[in-house]
Amino acid sequence: MTATTSATKSRRSLGTGWSALGFISPAVLVVAALLYAPFLYTVFYSFTDYDGLTSPKWVALDNFKKFLDDPALTTSVRNTLFWVVGTTIVPVAIGLLIALLSYGIKGGTLLRLPFMLPYALSGAGLGVIWGFILQSDGAANDLLRLLHLPGADISFLQQAPYNTIAMIVAMTWQQSGVNALLFLVGLQSIPTPPLEAARLDGASGFRMFRHITWPLLAPLTTVVVGLSLVASLKTFDIVWVTTQGGPGRSSETLAVTMYRDAFVSSDYGYGSAVALVLTLVTGAVTVAYLRFQIRGQEKLR
Amino acid sequence: MRRYASSTSRLAIAALAAVTLTLTACGGGGDDSSSATATEVKLYNDKGAWKTYFEGVGKLSKEQIGLGVTPVGYTDEPTYEAFIKASFRTNNKPDLFTWSTGGRLKEIVDSGQVADTSDLWKDAIANGDVSKELEPYYTIDGKQYCVPANVSYWVMFYNKKVFSDAGVQPPTSWADLIKTADTLKAKGVTPFYQTSVLFSFVWFQQLLIGTDPQLYNDLATGKAKFTDPKVVAVMQQWKDMEDKGYFSDPGSKDQPEAMLKSGKVAMGLFGTWFNTNMTTQGMKPDSDYGMFVVPNVTPSLPTTTVAFESGPLCSLTKAPNPEASTKFMKWWVQEKAQDQWANSRGDVSANPKVQIKDPSLNQLNKDAGEGKYALANRFFEAVPPAVLTAALDGFGAFMVDPGSFQKQLETIQKASDDYWKSN
Repeated sequence: MTATTSATKSRRSLGTGWSALGFISPAVLVVAALLYAPFLYTVFYSFTDYDGLTSPKWVALDNFKKFLDDPALTTSVRNTLFWVVGTTIVPVAIGLLIALLSYGIKGGTLLRLPFMLPYALSGAGLGVIWGFILQSDGAANDLLRLLHLPGADISFLQQAPYNTIAMIVAMTWQQSGVNALLFLVGLQSIPTPPLEAARLDGASGFRMFRHITWPLLAPLTTVVVGLSLVASLKTFDIVWVTTQGGPGRSSETLAVTMYRDAFVSSDYGYGSAVALVLTLVTGAVTVAYLRFQIRGQEKLR
Repeated sequence: MRRYASSTSRLAIAALAAVTLTLTACGGGGDDSSSATATEVKLYNDKGAWKTYFEGVGKLSKEQIGLGVTPVGYTDEPTYEAFIKASFRTNNKPDLFTWSTGGRLKEIVDSGQVADTSDLWKDAIANGDVSKELEPYYTIDGKQYCVPANVSYWVMFYNKKVFSDAGVQPPTSWADLIKTADTLKAKGVTPFYQTSVLFSFVWFQQLLIGTDPQLYNDLATGKAKFTDPKVVAVMQQWKDMEDKGYFSDPGSKDQPEAMLKSGKVAMGLFGTWFNTNMTTQGMKPDSDYGMFVVPNVTPSLPTTTVAFESGPLCSLTKAPNPEASTKFMKWWVQEKAQDQWANSRGDVSANPKVQIKDPSLNQLNKDAGEGKYALANRFFEAVPPAVLTAALDGFGAFMVDPGSFQKQLETIQKASDDYWKSN
């Protein structure tokens, strides 16, 4: 009897397992077809020479070797680093500042509103609008000339590295507001007792921020910086719309290089290799950053 | 036992559900066009702005051969190219599509997918519908592919009012052109249009074909180097012109036709297809603007060299309906179709029988037909795609920093070396 029961049980669980698999299989198939397959294909193509017409030819590590000795890629890596540094530090700092200065004062929402508005724009929209502002002898030059500031004669989108810097400024204009919003959520979630205790102890101003607010904001800072980091590594839309990575490939980021090599030069193998490297770098940086941050916070506790 | 049965049936239902879903997902892609009933051909093109002209031809073809045209226009070149190439490997193939001649045509012909049109060409040349001179642009390994979708000569468009205000005439020699540029410059008008986006090769092409057309051809075929002292001299000359402020800002987002119309810029080098841009901008040919053939830089050359481009209309061996595609292409090269196609756009035609309505264009077409000019294949088609990409980038970077020409030439030559090493 016992034997029969256990046999039935195991059959049943087996049956449930298979039927469950049957029910989830459509979803698994969709995920496999839309997410895993393209990724694995990209990995495969990165080891081939593939023009999109004839069959891919296996070239082992040639694409990655070419990578190391491609001057366009050096520029691209340098620009991507600019983007990482520029858009993780400046917009996060400005966002924090806006949040801190406008938090808890009367009319703070109204003061923050203009910083939030640019977020309504898509990356492409941002590129188009700033493209007009920054074009040679455009609005930016006019403004600088009017104010007798240096830089009135710079073609912001034409001359490297000004083109990358100018686009980072545009991105900062858009991103600071969102970061402020996130920091504000963080500030609101800080419990009042430690703040009051600190105030009773006579802390205020910068000391209050340095020793109380900043450490308590840390979890949120981790998220904001992490998001900015990933976003900056994959910068594509604004560059493609504004300069298409030009002139002469001078403002390309890794994501733009990837797109150009694959779709403009029809060198899908090389484009895939760039994509793979970009993915690995983004993954590695994110993991390293999160590890570092979480460890830091644990120490804090 | 009951339990066992119920779990089996549950398993069966689940399996059935999975299979059904999969089948439904796969079953949607059937092709229901059959050759006997084809009344429309889908014409994929990267000339999205020409939709009305394609439709105009389609209306006529519907009347004459019972085949209408559905234009499927793209405006982004990489997307278009990727789509067409991807279609070679899927069942979703275009009936007809526009492309470019030169290296890019060879590339897709080599893949064995493009329909052979040798018979069509033989008949069309015999009937006088296509000039024999065009044949080489469409010949790969002795066979012809595609038919001419458009032909254009590269000439200088100029604003007539700006010219008359400055008291200058279309130049008859290079020295004259430079003098004209100086006069205009002194009046505060930018003499020439230039752009670092896509058409960055234009002035290089013009200066080189006017200086040494043989060297131009040798560069295209990898026989000469971009670092050749004569090429360097051409770049030096171009730099001098940049330094003198002859050119408009290469990164300007303004449309060239708008700049020419406003008189901000006096002249622009374009294919005759640019006529369409000018007329849609509301300018009248011959009264508001004119065109002239750019004189050779080297006066001692026997004939003036004019850059020429021809873009093909192609079909695939495995087109959805090869008979319909062939039927359409046969009709397309004939006079009636070409008259509609060329004159509605205000460009010249590949068919010499077509009477071009625009007088200066007609004159140009006649002169070229009578061999008054030497024709040079446009740089865009003449050089292999990999070299072109490097060159477009290089010239774009040069315009921003003209002093860097030596470096740019070296980069382009590297791409050329890489290409000719393996081809």
